[in-house]
Amino acid sequence: MLMWTLKGLVAAPLQLLASVGAIAGAFSLILFFQAVFAGESDQIVAYIEKSDADVWVMQKGVSNMHMASSFISDWKAQKIETVDGVSKVTPILYLNTVMVAGERHWFSFIVGLNKGDSRAGPWEMAAGQALPGPSEAVVPAVLARLANLKTGDQVSIADRDFRIVGLSENTFSMANSITFIAMDDLSDIMSTFGSFSYLLVDAEPGVDPIALAARLQSDVEKINALTRAEFTNNDWKIAMQMGLEVVSIMTIIGGGLALLLIAFTAYNHVGQRERELAMMKAMGVRNRSIYASIMFQIGVITTLAFLAAILIVVVAIPLTAWLVPQITLRLTLDALFQVGTAAFIVSLLAAIVPVRKLVNVDPVTAFQA
Amino acid sequence: MLDLVLKQLRYNSFRSLLTVLAIAAVIAEILILEGFLAGLYKQLQSAVLNRNADVIVSQTGISNFLASRSILPQLTRRDVEDVEGVKEAHPLTALSVIYSQGGRSMPIIIFVHDAIGGPTEIIAGGPVVSDRGIVIDQGLSRKFGLKPGDNITISDFDFKISGVSSRSAAFFTPFAFIVYDDLIDFYLESDVADDIATFPLLSFLLVDVEEGADPQAVAARIEKTVDVADAFLPDQLARNDEDMGRELMGPILGLLIVVSYGTGALVVGMFMFATIRARLPSLGVMRALGFKPRTLGAAVVLEAGLLTIFALPIGILLSLGLANIIHDLSPIYLILPVEPTAVVRTAIVCLALASIGALAPVRMIARLDPAVVFRS
Repeated sequence: MLMWTLKGLVAAPLQLLASVGAIAGAFSLILFFQAVFAGESDQIVAYIEKSDADVWVMQKGVSNMHMASSFISDWKAQKIETVDGVSKVTPILYLNTVMVAGERHWFSFIVGLNKGDSRAGPWEMAAGQALPGPSEAVVPAVLARLANLKTGDQVSIADRDFRIVGLSENTFSMANSITFIAMDDLSDIMSTFGSFSYLLVDAEPGVDPIALAARLQSDVEKINALTRAEFTNNDWKIAMQMGLEVVSIMTIIGGGLALLLIAFTAYNHVGQRERELAMMKAMGVRNRSIYASIMFQIGVITTLAFLAAILIVVVAIPLTAWLVPQITLRLTLDALFQVGTAAFIVSLLAAIVPVRKLVNVDPVTAFQA
Repeated sequence: MLDLVLKQLRYNSFRSLLTVLAIAAVIAEILILEGFLAGLYKQLQSAVLNRNADVIVSQTGISNFLASRSILPQLTRRDVEDVEGVKEAHPLTALSVIYSQGGRSMPIIIFVHDAIGGPTEIIAGGPVVSDRGIVIDQGLSRKFGLKPGDNITISDFDFKISGVSSRSAAFFTPFAFIVYDDLIDFYLESDVADDIATFPLLSFLLVDVEEGADPQAVAARIEKTVDVADAFLPDQLARNDEDMGRELMGPILGLLIVVSYGTGALVVGMFMFATIRARLPSLGVMRALGFKPRTLGAAVVLEAGLLTIFALPIGILLSLGLANIIHDLSPIYLILPVEPTAVVRTAIVCLALASIGALAPVRMIARLDPAVVFRS
């Protein structure tokens, strides 16, 4: 029976290949969507993770950075500096706006850095300096490449021109491109004086960030203090929640497509071997064994398609990074598990079609021919 | 030949149905993605156009309505109203906040409006009439189970939902609408601002021009007279936001559409290949009866075309149904699957792919030995 099953699988190799390829296409579409959202969600928290502060302090009622605005008075930064266990407080200003670079409009998060302090600045440079002075900007190297700009060229933020003095690495993604300018410049643009957006707090060696965050929260009024892990998690969650519905929709559409494809493949497979199956029934092979054989074949096709889909996406990730550098993709174990589960369910559902056909196969037809 | 092809399709109607359904599913999937992109751009445009102004005034250097922070000095309103041709300048303030409930969060944009600029389509309840009233987008309402009469707490400030609006979301972000009477209370009582001076009291001015005045000329006069402001026709501002959306989302959705077309190519090609290949014996009989390979090839391509033509309306209906389901489940997404360009492009691509898929086994037909049919 096993030999018959295996022979059945490879009887038409070209057809098998086409089936596996098409089903893999449907699965890779789902994986691709998941990879896009996971990659973007990672990039959204890149600044928080890379700036490596132990505790983030923001306005009360605010608990994330992406799509949020926070204002915290400068005297609170001074007060926090005196709290036991605090080694350094680095304030930043933060604004999401549209920047003009190379005559194109780019949505960008603008971070205003304190004069002479690169603590909250870019963590990896491709060219130039990391700390912008007055009317200077550090822009992502990818953005510079896409906008055909280099150091010394100009970008415009809210009608103010900034000279590019540095190109940073790993600071660009579709939803989170980060530009650094001097805090005074950003204060002017935002018409905000005497306040910051966020405070990056470094703890003294040996101080527990969780305890420090709690202490800051109780010692300073109307603030929210979160450890880096909590803050990262909040932003990552909101990004994933925003993308979750789109991913779910595409998973259902891609899954539905895969279901049709597998059902068609199985139906085709059984249809082509109807006489053989009738013969087997006539020879006394039990229905259960034939069902198991068909299920096994569908399982093998689905598994091969799933593996091919992973391969397609693994190859597509570096290819996409090269062709479309503004997109970040990441394949996660969660995504593999979800698509794997969907594949399993889909293959079970798809088996209904050939099994129904099998039930109707009359053993007598084997002798009528 | 058409008769022959139709008979072939009817001969194994279940297989034909499956093939039509699969091609329809591919068409629907591509149309949904194309519609998603079209809907995204439409929402960005509507966010501006639905404010119903003749001219929109923003902070100088801010040429976008969404995704930018515009702050105008309070006196700008008076300066703008002094400009010739301006009938009235209505204030509008935009605030980005995060709404959280039960461990789930969602960014929202609150528009604080005066006589114009509020929600354009209220589908439940009514406009804000009482203190602390708020109209929320149906996306927010659906996601968190909020309805008119309920309280909604934003930054520790309690609003009472007076209405639910539709078509009031863009950039995956639902809008909410409050009136100016509540803005100061909101700033003072909520946690939204540590210091009220840091938050905008005026973001944009929505200008009504006098009857007979040319909005473009009025906008030019505002630009010239009011130093701190830029003036745009709503169409221009809407285009700017759409361009920003294209810049931001275009590459990623474009890539996903390319992947969908790739997947579609594989699927449609494979279906046609398998369908034709399964009929090789009968095609062999036809060859034995004297049909030329070219005729059989043409019949096969015609069959592929017919299947795609049958699949096209089903695919369109499927995409419309899916778009409605998606919009019902999550109204912040607007999907416009029947944009003519996208439908024509998808139809052409699917027809081409089906023909290519069908042509692949034609070579087998050409090499088919008619004697095999009789031997078997």
